[in-house]
Amino acid sequence: MGFADVLGSGKFVVTAEVSPPKGTDISGALAGAGLLQGLLDAVNVTDNQRSMMRMSPIVLCHKLGEMGFETIMHMTCRDRNRLALQSDLLAAHALGIHNILAMSGDYPTMGDQPSTKPVFDLDSVQLLQLIEKMNNGSDFQDKPLDSPTSLCAGAVANPYVRPLGPQLLKLNKKVSAKARFIQTQAVFDAAVFNEFADAARHIGIPVIAGIIPLRSAQNARFMNEKIPGVKIPDEVISQMEAAADPALEGMRIAAKTIAGIRTNCQGIHIMPIGGHGNTRRLLELCGLVD
Amino acid sequence: MLITRPKPIEEILSMLDMFPETSICVVGCGICARKIQTGGEAQVSMMTARLQQRGLDVLDGKIVKHACSTESWDSMVEENPALDDAGILLVMSCGAGVSLLGRISGKPVLPGLDTTSLGSALKDEVFENFCVMCGDCNVGLYAGLCPKSGCPKSQVNGPCGGSIDRDCEVEGRECIWVKIYDKLESRGMLELLDDIRPPVNHDRRL
Repeated sequence: MGFADVLGSGKFVVTAEVSPPKGTDISGALAGAGLLQGLLDAVNVTDNQRSMMRMSPIVLCHKLGEMGFETIMHMTCRDRNRLALQSDLLAAHALGIHNILAMSGDYPTMGDQPSTKPVFDLDSVQLLQLIEKMNNGSDFQDKPLDSPTSLCAGAVANPYVRPLGPQLLKLNKKVSAKARFIQTQAVFDAAVFNEFADAARHIGIPVIAGIIPLRSAQNARFMNEKIPGVKIPDEVISQMEAAADPALEGMRIAAKTIAGIRTNCQGIHIMPIGGHGNTRRLLELCGLVD
Repeated sequence: MLITRPKPIEEILSMLDMFPETSICVVGCGICARKIQTGGEAQVSMMTARLQQRGLDVLDGKIVKHACSTESWDSMVEENPALDDAGILLVMSCGAGVSLLGRISGKPVLPGLDTTSLGSALKDEVFENFCVMCGDCNVGLYAGLCPKSGCPKSQVNGPCGGSIDRDCEVEGRECIWVKIYDKLESRGMLELLDDIRPPVNHDRRL
């Protein structure tokens, strides 16, 4: 059963993120993903996240597919023009990758290749439209494909963005452009997420909430400062600071957040800091694994 | 108005190294670069003095009326004879001015400035990034606030997820999408944003 079918069944889904290596050896990434066997409905593979140069996610998705994982490949509009986006979508499909998470991507100056040319030929809405077009058998210029794709495309949203009006405008367009699900930026505050979920109730597609189990007050501060769109409340940072076992506290905070938003989303997406060593434990804390 | 910024002096000196023992005329531009004080009288004089202090043969520093538009090279020389006497021109204007002078003077030209965007000036206030010259203008749909130039990611269908409290994730300025939304909302014209806009047709630039 593909990810689209699982979502369609109404199941509360669990996904998690792995990153390709900054080098040629993928054994570490595969071993890390091995910790997730049996825990997830799909594993996401990031695309030069935070504009830090890494291996293309196509390869890692393919290898994870061989290990039996359903994969969701992230695809940003930052690094490819419409020709390259289409080529990579066809390549991914040919390698058995059937889920794409379409996003604009962090700006290059945020990362380790700040002098790079920002492409942004398409935006995430137009990328979703392109995928829908390819699913219907034609390319961007309406030329027929030899064989159509059958990709399930998702999109992203940030529950923290205020004012909500412009964000909802974009979200509505993503839904019109046939996004099948929405994955959110990391949530640290159930009330903020629930306000967003209320405002987005009309979209009628599953929302998967992003969760980052914090490891220390220090990395919480780092994320607030360095990761666009992340907003960790001061009281959460204080809780982390006071904790005897910060990693456990981070998991408790995540579990509490998940409990607080669970009726307003159809799944969670775990984005750990530094590997999946604690992911099983977090899911156990949340009662999301036997 | 073309927005320019000064090149580092080291870069200029390194370009001038390509032309040893060649006389130089520093050329400013009387329009945009003068207005935003990157290639006006003060900047041209300062550049002239800095190069002379380093022992370079600078004949003069001159401001032409418009570096990007002229009747002829002869008409420029008539007003500024040093242009013709110099072996090389260091041009403190936008890239269009440098290119035109290179084309009509028959001399090597070097850029003294970097051209960064198409903007505007209102009295002493300078606005950068008003236009990216995409060749496919539809700024009327966005309350006159161009998202292709005003948003670093050129988002035409709404904001990215990186601006939390009205601020752009990239630069210390307000997200252009918040401004577009507010302006159209105040005019009761938000429906202009309903349709999904297509990507820029780059064909039209040819």
